Amino acid sequence: MDTHIVEVINVTREVAWLPWAVQYFFLIGLSVGGLLLSLPGYAFARDGWRPLGRLALIVALTCGLAAPVALLSDLHQPGRFWHFYVVFRPTSWMWWGSLFIPFYIAGLLVYGWACLREELQAHGRVDSRLAGLYRLAALGGGRDDRLIRAAGLFVLAGAALVALYTGVEVAVVKARPLWHTPFLPVQFLTTALAGALGLVLILNRVVGTADRGVEVLGNRLLAAVLAAVMLCGGLWLALSLSGLDAGHAAALDSVAGSEAWRVTAVWAVAATVVPFVIAVARPAGTGLLTGLIAVHSAWMFRWTVFIGGQSVPKTGAGFYEYALPAGPDGLMGIVGTAGLWLFLLILMTALLPVSSTPAAGRPANASGHPGGRLTAAE
Amino acid sequence: GGFSETGRKLVKGAWAGERPDDTISGNAPKPEFRIDPATGAVEPTPGQIVANVACLGCTTLCGVRVRVDVERNRVLRVAGNPYSPLSTDPFLPYATPIEESFRSLSRLDEKGLQGRSTACGRGNAALEMLTSPFRITTPMKRVGPRGSGRWEPIAFDKLVEEIAEGGDLFGEGPVEGLRTLRDLKTPIEHASPELGPKVNQVALLASVNDGREPFVRRFFNQALGTINFAGHGAYCGGAYRSGSGAAFGDLKAMPHAKPDLQNAEFVLFIGTAPSNAGNPFKRQAMLVAKGRTDGVLNYVVVDPVLTNADNRAAGERSNWIPIRPGTDGALVMGMMRWMFENDRIDSRYLSQPNAKAATSAGEAGWCNATHLVIRQKGHPRDGRMLRASDMGWVELDEKERYGEKDAFVVLDPAGKPVAHDVLDGPAVLFHDGAVVTPAGDVSVKTSLTLLREEAMRLELRGYADACGIPADIIAGLAREFTSHGKKAVANAHGGMMAGNGFYNAFGVVTLNTLIGNLNWKGGSIFGGGRFPDEQDGPRYKLASFPGAVKPSGTAISRPVPYEKSSEFARNNAAGKPYPAKAPWYPAAPQLTTEYLTSGLADGYPYRLKALFLWNSNPVYGIPGLRAAAEAALKDPKTLPLIVSIDPFINESSAFADYIVPDTVLYETWGWASPWGGVPTKTSTARWPVVEPRTQALPDGLHVQMETFLIALAKRLGLPGFGADAIADMDGKLHPLDRPEDWYLRGGANIAWLGKQPVADADDRDIALSGVGRVMPVLQATLKPEEWRKVAYILVRGGRYQNQAEGFEGDKAVHKFLKPLQVYNEAVGTAKSSITGRRWTGTATWMEPVFADGSPVHKHHTAEDWPFQLVSSKSMLVSAYTIAAGRLRHLHPDNPVGINAEDARRLGIETGDRIRIATPGGMQDATAIVRHGVMRGVLAVEHGFGHREYGARPHLIGGHSQPSVPEIGAGINLNDLGIADPSRAGASVWVDPIAGTAVRQGIPAKLERLAASA
Amino acid sequence: GAVSASGDAAHRWAMVVDVRKCVGCQACTVACIMENDVPENSFRTIVSTYEVTEQGKAGSYMLPRLCNHCEDPPCIPVCPTGATYQRRDGIVVVDNSVCVGCAYCVQACPYDARFINHETQTADKCTFCVHRVEAGLLPACVETCVGGARIFGDLKDPDSTVSKLVREQNPKVLKPEMGTQPRVFYIGLDPKMQGKVDGTPTLWRPAPHADKEHA
Ligand SMILES: Nc1nc2c(c(=O)[nH]1)N[C@H]1C(S)=C(S)[C@@H](COP(=O)(O)OP(=O)(O)OC[C@H]3O[C@@H](n4cnc5c(=O)[nH]c(N)nc54)[C@H](O)[C@@H]3O)O[C@H]1N2
Ligand SMILES: Nc1nc2c(c(=O)[nH]1)N[C@H]1C(S)=C(S)[C@@H](COP(=O)(O)OP(=O)(O)OC[C@H]3O[C@@H](n4cnc5c(=O)[nH]c(N)nc54)[C@H](O)[C@@H]3O)O[C@H]1N2
Ligand code: SF4
Ligand code: SF4
Ligand code: SF4
Ligand code: SF4
Ligand code: SF4
Ligand SMILES: [Mo]
Repeated sequence: MDTHIVEVINVTREVAWLPWAVQYFFLIGLSVGGLLLSLPGYAFARDGWRPLGRLALIVALTCGLAAPVALLSDLHQPGRFWHFYVVFRPTSWMWWGSLFIPFYIAGLLVYGWACLREELQAHGRVDSRLAGLYRLAALGGGRDDRLIRAAGLFVLAGAALVALYTGVEVAVVKARPLWHTPFLPVQFLTTALAGALGLVLILNRVVGTADRGVEVLGNRLLAAVLAAVMLCGGLWLALSLSGLDAGHAAALDSVAGSEAWRVTAVWAVAATVVPFVIAVARPAGTGLLTGLIAVHSAWMFRWTVFIGGQSVPKTGAGFYEYALPAGPDGLMGIVGTAGLWLFLLILMTALLPVSSTPAAGRPANASGHPGGRLTAAE
Repeated sequence: GGFSETGRKLVKGAWAGERPDDTISGNAPKPEFRIDPATGAVEPTPGQIVANVACLGCTTLCGVRVRVDVERNRVLRVAGNPYSPLSTDPFLPYATPIEESFRSLSRLDEKGLQGRSTACGRGNAALEMLTSPFRITTPMKRVGPRGSGRWEPIAFDKLVEEIAEGGDLFGEGPVEGLRTLRDLKTPIEHASPELGPKVNQVALLASVNDGREPFVRRFFNQALGTINFAGHGAYCGGAYRSGSGAAFGDLKAMPHAKPDLQNAEFVLFIGTAPSNAGNPFKRQAMLVAKGRTDGVLNYVVVDPVLTNADNRAAGERSNWIPIRPGTDGALVMGMMRWMFENDRIDSRYLSQPNAKAATSAGEAGWCNATHLVIRQKGHPRDGRMLRASDMGWVELDEKERYGEKDAFVVLDPAGKPVAHDVLDGPAVLFHDGAVVTPAGDVSVKTSLTLLREEAMRLELRGYADACGIPADIIAGLAREFTSHGKKAVANAHGGMMAGNGFYNAFGVVTLNTLIGNLNWKGGSIFGGGRFPDEQDGPRYKLASFPGAVKPSGTAISRPVPYEKSSEFARNNAAGKPYPAKAPWYPAAPQLTTEYLTSGLADGYPYRLKALFLWNSNPVYGIPGLRAAAEAALKDPKTLPLIVSIDPFINESSAFADYIVPDTVLYETWGWASPWGGVPTKTSTARWPVVEPRTQALPDGLHVQMETFLIALAKRLGLPGFGADAIADMDGKLHPLDRPEDWYLRGGANIAWLGKQPVADADDRDIALSGVGRVMPVLQATLKPEEWRKVAYILVRGGRYQNQAEGFEGDKAVHKFLKPLQVYNEAVGTAKSSITGRRWTGTATWMEPVFADGSPVHKHHTAEDWPFQLVSSKSMLVSAYTIAAGRLRHLHPDNPVGINAEDARRLGIETGDRIRIATPGGMQDATAIVRHGVMRGVLAVEHGFGHREYGARPHLIGGHSQPSVPEIGAGINLNDLGIADPSRAGASVWVDPIAGTAVRQGIPAKLERLAASA
Repeated sequence: GAVSASGDAAHRWAMVVDVRKCVGCQACTVACIMENDVPENSFRTIVSTYEVTEQGKAGSYMLPRLCNHCEDPPCIPVCPTGATYQRRDGIVVVDNSVCVGCAYCVQACPYDARFINHETQTADKCTFCVHRVEAGLLPACVETCVGGARIFGDLKDPDSTVSKLVREQNPKVLKPEMGTQPRVFYIGLDPKMQGKVDGTPTLWRPAPHADKEHA
C-alpha cells in the first residue's frame, strides 16, 4: 500500500540513561569477565593460567572499582543512593542489582586480596619505606590456596548474579524491542569476556611482561569467545528475520530501515570477525591489535545497545537524534570514568609492580620490566 | 572533571535538583479554587484571583479567564471565559452568577466537559509577554542612526515635549513637532487642494482594533485632525474583505459574513483554514471539531497547502483539495458555470427584486440579480444600473439622480420594465436586450445575465486547467454545494491575498449569493455585532465633542477616484490622462500597503512628516516592504519623525525615533469585539487584572498608549482631552485625564444598550471575579447608579447577548438587510488609474496581474521561476508571540513545505537546506517534503524569520537585552515579496483593485544547498 | 508504603481522546506546561501531528499523547525505590522526594510518557493533574481543550461520560500488545498510529539544557 506519513509536529525524548550507563555496563562487564578469567590461575591454582590470571585480576579489580562510580553518576539523584536499601522492591531488577553489586565488589576485594597476598608479603620483605604497610596489608600471611578458592567461589557467585542482573535488567524492558530479548544477557556476558580478554591482551603489552604465552592463550580464548558472540548474534538475526518471534521481528524492523544502523551492524560484524580471524590465524604477536579491537567492540556493543537503543522512539517516527553533549551528561562522563579507571590501574601497578609470579624474596622492584615502571611513572 | 557534577550533587544530598513545592504535583500552584464534588460548594484560594478578560494572543480577542497570583502580580494560567461565545459553546446565560460559572468549568456533575471554555495554545502561552525580558517598559529615544538598535531611556515629560515641539532632536537638523504639523488650514499643495491640509502629513498605522482604536482615532482623526489612519486590513485579509464588500455593496466598510458553523451541512473553505488559523480562530476550531464529529458538518478545504483545518480521523466529513495559488477565481467560476448549466442556482431567491418581495417569498434577504445594467458601447452610462430616472419615471434634481431615491429597473414577469421596488413578487432573472427609454433604445442585461456570461467564458476544462483541480471535482463541488439548500456556505480569507484576490473573493462570496444563504441558519451569517462603547450615548457622548475636527483631504493610499484629482485634471488637459503616477484605489479603504512605498519613499501624493506606529508591524507583515522601504525608513530626511507605541521592538519600530511602551494583554482597558461568526451581540471587556509593568508616572498612572496621547493632547491643547472633555447626556462635562475616564464611561454606554440595562453586580460576584481590584476607580469615575452595572460587565468579562437570541426559527436575528450585488456598479464603472480601463462588475476569472493589468508570468516567466510561494498562518504562533518560549520550544521554526514529486526531482529530502529566490530576494531555509503541498508550490508558515523581538539584542541605556538568536529561526515569506515591475517608483505587489498585499503565488525558484545537519 | 494508599478507591480516573475532534492547537500541551511548571523543552503531553498520505490522498492527523495511567503499568515494577506508584484511584504518580532519578521507569514505559525533569532531577510525567482533580476541577489539558477532544472522568461511575464512551464507542488504546491496559482511550485511532509510527520523523531537536540547568 502506498502510504506516507510525515511527522509535522512532534518532540523527541532525550536519552535518560546517559553515557555513564554505558561506562558502567562496560566496566562491570569487564570486571566480571576479568574475574572469570582469573579463576583458573588463582582459585583453581592452575599455574599455567597464572600470568593471564594476574592481568585478568587487575582488569577485574580496576574495572570493578570504577564501575559503581559510573553507576552512581548515572543516577540523577546520586545523594539518594541509599533509598535502594530502605525498601523491599523485588520486582525491580535494578533493586536486586543494588544488592548484588556490593556483594560482588566486596567479594572481589576479598578475593583480590587473597590472590595478591603472596605479592604483598613479598613486597613486605623488601627494605623500603612502605614495607610496613605491605606487611600490614598481607596480614602476616602469604599464599593460601584454600582461602583463594573459597573467596573465588564466593565472588564467582557474586559475578554470576551481577552478570545475571545486568543482562536481565535490560532484557526485561519490553518497551524496547531491541533490548527485550533473552539473547541480551548472553551477549552482554560473551562480549564482556571478549572485552576482558582484549584488555588482558593490551595490559600484557602495556603494563605486563608482553608474555608470549599470555598472548597466545589470550588470543585463543578470544577466538572462542568471539565465536560465541557471533553465534549469539547469528541466532538473534535468524530469529528476527524468520519472524517466528514478533518481538524480535519488531526489534529488527525498528532499525532495519536506517542507514546508520546498517553501518553499525557492518561495523560490529567486522569488529568481531576481524579479531577472530587474526586470533585464529596468528595468535602470537597480534595481542595488542586483537585486544584493542575486542575492547572497542565490547564498548561499542554497549554504546549501541544503550544510546542507540534509546534513540529508537517508542511511538514517534524514525529515530531521535543523539548528539553527545560535552558536559557531564556526555563526553565528560566517558572521559571521567576512563580517567578513574586509568588512575586505579596506575595505582595498582605502582603498588604491585608487575612481575610474573613474584617469587618469595625476590625484590619486586628489581623485576626489571621497564614497562611496569614506565606505566607507573606516567 | 567528569565526576564534579556527581560530586556536587552528592554534596547537595537529598535534593540534587531544585526542590519543588509538592512531592507529587511538583511546582503546580494551588488550584484557583476548590469545588466540593458532593455539595458544589466553592472555596476560593487565598492569594489568587480569577478574572474574565480578553486575550490578545492573536486578533481573535477571545474572552478568557486568567488566574492571578495577586502578591506576585503574576498571571499563572489562562483558560476560557465561560460567558464568552469566542471560547465556549454553549456559553453561559449572561445572568449566571460568578460562583456558578466556576462550577460550570469544574468536575462537578461533569459540567466542565459540556461547558468547557478554552484558551488555545497561543492563548495559553501569551502570558509570557507580560514578563518577557524583551518587553519595553520605559520610553526610549534612539541614539545613533535609525535602526542601529541603540536607545536611551527618556523621561515621559521630555518625550511628550520633544514630540509636541520638535526641534533639533537628534543633532541631525530640525524636526517638526506635532504643534507645527497640526495645521488644519494650509493646504499641503496649493495646486492640489483636494489633498487636504498639512496635518495630513501625520499618519498613524494601526493593526486590528484591540478594543482601543476609538481612543486612538479620537486623538489622530478628531483632535489632531489628520485623515491618515490605516489599519492592517491591506495586508491581513483585505482582498477577501474587498471582494466581499463588492458583493455586499459597501467597498469602504467591506461587510463580510461567516458560515454558521453550528448548523451548516456543507462548508467550502477556499483560502481560509479554520482551526489552523481563521478568525475567530478558536470559535471556528471548536465548532468545526464539534460539527464534523457530533454534528452535521461536512466540509472541504481548498488550499495549496494541507493544514490543521483537515482531520483524517473525521473521515469523509473533512476533505482537502489542493489548488494552484491565485486561481480560486477559476474554481468558483467553473462551479458557477456548472450551476448555471444544471440549473442549480436558487432562482426563487435571486429573482426577488426587493426586500418586500423577498420576505413574502420566505427569503431572508435579497440581491440585485434581476436589476438591469446598461450594456451599450459608447453609451455615457454604459456599465451603470438602469434607473427610474433614465426611464423618465421620476424627476430628480442632479444631486439626487442615481441616488437612493432613484429606483433600479427590472422586468416584471411579463417582460415589462418596472421600478425594482414596486413588484411584490419575482422579476425576470435573465435578460439581454433593449429597453425603450425616453432617450431611445438602450441595451441592457440583468446582473445575473452578466454574471452568467462571465461564468460561461471558459469551458469547465479551461477552468480546471487554470486552477489544477480536475473538472469532475469542480462539478462535484458545485453539486455538493447546491445539495444542501441554504445550509451550505463558501468562505474565504487569507488565501485571497493574491494578485487577483479581489475577483477571487468576489467569486467566492457570489457562490453564496447564488444559493441565497445569507441570514439563514446554517448559511452565511452576518453576526450579531457588538455593543458599541464609543458612540454618543446612552450615557456619555464619546463620539462627539466640541472642537472635534472632521478630517479632510486625500489619504496617502488614494482611496478615491483618480479622476477627481487635480493630477488627473492636469494630465487630462495635457492629453494624457492615464497613467497616474501611481495607482489609486477608489474601490478600497485606506491601505497600509501604499503608505511606506509610494507614500513614504516617493512622497506621493504628498510627503509624510511624522509616522506613528501603534500595535502594528508592517515591515514584517507586508511582502516586499522591507526591500521597498528600508532605505526611506532609515533616512530622517525622507521621514523626519517615527514614533512607535508598542510593548516590544518589532521589525518596524526598530526604525523608530521614539518607542513609547504600551501595556499588554491583561494590563489594559478596552472594549473588544469579534470580527464575525458569532450570531449574537458580543463585546469583550479588557481591564487591568495585574498592575502594568510599564514605568509608573508620578500620578500613579503608567506609561501606555492612553497616558501618552492624553499628555500629548494636553500639551498641544487639543480638544477632546483633559478637563471637561466628555459630556454626559445631561450635558454635564467630565474629564478625560486617565484611561478609565474613557473606558469606564464607554462601559456605561454598553451597560445601558440593548433592550434594558444590565443588572447590578453583587458583592459576591465582585469578590470572586477579582474586580475588587478596580472597584475604587469605578466608584471614583462613574455615577452611583452606574458603577455596579459596569462592574457587572467586568465581572463577566464583557457583555454578551444570550445564545438563544441568535436565531429566530431558521433565520438569523441579526441580518444584513441591504441587497447583495451580483453586479456591483461601482466596481463595474471604476477605472484603473494606470490603464484607464474599466473593471468587470461581476465576479470573474482574472489571472494574477500587476498594476497595469499585465499578467505576472509575462514579467516573471514560469521557466525562470518554476515555483510559487504561498503563506499559511502558523497553527501555533502569531507573528508577535514568537518571544513566548513555551510556544517556540514546541515548534521552533518553519521548515518550508515542498511537494514530494518536486522534491524527488530536485533531490531534496526533509531536513535539507534549500535556497529560495524570488525577483524580490533570497532566503535559505530548511525543507520539509510533503504530499500535502500542491505541486509547484513552496509553503511558508507565517510567524517566523524574525529579526527583532529579541532575535537581535538591542542596547538600551548601555545595557544589552538578552541574546536569544532562536527567536530569529526560520524564514519570513515577506522577505521574499516582490515589487510591481509595471510601476515606477517604490512599490510592493498588490491586487490592482483592492490594493492588498500579495503573499500568495509569489514566483520563486529553488536550489538545494546541503543535506540535513 | 503509606503513600500508595492515597487516592480514593471509589474512583478510577481515565481519559477518552476523540481524535476526530482534535484540531492540533496544542492548547493542552501549553496548558499542561503552565499548570505544572514543566521544564523548558520537556513535555508531559504533546499532540503529535502527522501528514498522512494514502493512495495519493493526503490529510492531517493529530494524536494527543500523554501518560496512559495504565492498569498494569510497566513503569512501576521496575522502580527500585517505590517512588513510582499507583494511587487507589488509578493515577500513576512519582514521589519526587523518593525518586533517585535512575530513569529505569523512563525506559520501561512503552509510550515515551516519562522523562527526567532537569530541574528536579527526578522522573516526571503526567499526573492527571491530581491536584486539580482532588480540588474538584478538571485537568488543565482537558479544561482548555479547544476541540473538546479530551474527555476526563471516572470509570467506576457508570454514568460518567468516559464510561459511556468506553461502553458505546469501542475506543482503542495505544500498543495494546504491551498488555499495559491503558486508561487513556482513543476514538478514531488509526491503526497506523497505534504503535511506533512508520514515517518521516520530526525535525524537532531538543535544545541543549545541560549547561544551564547544571550551572
Ligand atoms: N494560528 C493562528 N490563527 C490566527 C492568526 C495567527 O496568527 N495564528 N491570525 C488571525 C488573523 S489576523 C487572521 S486574518 C486569520 C486568517 O485566517 P486564514 O485566512 O484562515 O489564514 P491564512 O493562513 O491567512 O490563509 C488561509 C489559507 O490560505 C491558503 N492559501 C494560500 N494561497 C492560496 C490560494 O491561492 N488559494 C487558496 N484557496 N488558498 C490559499 C494558505 O495556505 C492558508 O492555509 O487568522 C487568525 N487566526
Ligand atoms: N507572509 C505573511 N504575511 C502576513 C500574514 C501571513 O499569513 N503571511 N498575515 C497577515 C495578517 S492576517 C495580518 S493581520 C498582519 C498582522 O500584522 P500587524 O497588524 O502589523 O500585526 P503584528 O505583526 O501581529 O504586530 C502587532 C504588533 O502589536 C504589538 N502588540 C501586541 N499587543 C499589543 C498591545 O497591547 N499594545 C500595543 N501597542 N501593541 C501590541 C506586538 O508587539 C506587535 O509588534 O500580517 C499579515 N502578514
Ligand atoms: S484564538 Fe487568539 S485570542 Fe483566542 S485564545 Fe487563542 S490566541 Fe488568544
Ligand atoms: S527514576 Fe525514580 S521513579 Fe523512575 S524508576 Fe528510578 S527511582 Fe523510580
Ligand atoms: S503510560 Fe507509561 S508512565 Fe504512564 S502508567 Fe503507563 S507505563 Fe507508566
Ligand atoms: S492531565 Fe495534567 S499533567 Fe496530565 S497531560 Fe493533562 S495537564 Fe498535563
Ligand atoms: S487542546 Fe484539544 S484540540 Fe487542541 S491539540 Fe489538545 S487535544 Fe487537540
Ligand atoms: Mo489578519
